[in-house]
Amino acid sequence: MVNCIDNSGAAIVECVKVLRMKRHAKVGDRIIVVVQKQRSFGPESGPGGSVSISAANNVRRGDIRHAVVVRTAKKTQRPDGSVVKFDDNACVLINKGGEPIGSRLNGIVGSELRDKQWSKILSLAPMHL
Amino acid sequence: MRTYDDTFSGQKIYPGKGKLYVRGDSKIFRFQNGKTESLFLQRKNPRRIAWTTLYRRQHKKGISEEIAKKRTRRTVKHQRAIVGASLDVIKERRAQRPEARSAARQAAISEGKEKKAAAESKKKMEKAKSAAAGARGQTSRIVGKQGAKGAPMKAAAKSR
Repeated sequence: MVNCIDNSGAAIVECVKVLRMKRHAKVGDRIIVVVQKQRSFGPESGPGGSVSISAANNVRRGDIRHAVVVRTAKKTQRPDGSVVKFDDNACVLINKGGEPIGSRLNGIVGSELRDKQWSKILSLAPMHL
Repeated sequence: MRTYDDTFSGQKIYPGKGKLYVRGDSKIFRFQNGKTESLFLQRKNPRRIAWTTLYRRQHKKGISEEIAKKRTRRTVKHQRAIVGASLDVIKERRAQRPEARSAARQAAISEGKEKKAAAESKKKMEKAKSAAAGARGQTSRIVGKQGAKGAPMKAAAKSR
């Protein structure tokens, strides 16, 4: 189970496959997910509501989508020797071409995304570490 | 070289050391070692653990000596000449016996009083003199020029 932190309409997704990998996924890896829980847009639909609603209509419970991991609770060691650990596992939904479905992210993303050229996700994120 | 402070203990973290923990509310915490990380995750208060900087700062450990040293500066009294009196005069005055000094002062005061009284009496005399002179010259009633001339004569009627 992975949190989905964009405004695509999914709240919690389940990872069913890690692409090009025979083990667990890390930050920046592409995975295939099943949407388990939809996000209710009650309190969040203030600014930019129309975009999020149209995007929300695209993503439904039970959908199979591609996603990118942006945070892991497992500690990751960087090349410079520092160790980073987040509180949860989180991902962002993307389409088959690799572009994010949502138009906004809430929360920090790992800066390993830069090494794997997910610059569109980085530009949407408020902060990366 | 960029070093960071440990969020729990306040120790320095040099590059390649320590762990970075990002909480769910996207707050960032840095830990120097497993000890501080563990204590933080146990939700211990760093102010109650004796070896952390926060505790030491709160209980004023290891900074008292420096403060005590700083406070020893004092103002020093110094004598020097001022406007009317040179240093010698001041020293002489100071060396005199207090009785002599008070007597001299008393004498000076009495002299000053006498002088003042004399001046006052002189002034009074002068004032009285001038007043007398004024009284001699002046009439009892002040009269204007027109009044001194008297009432104008009534023109006599020459025609009907």
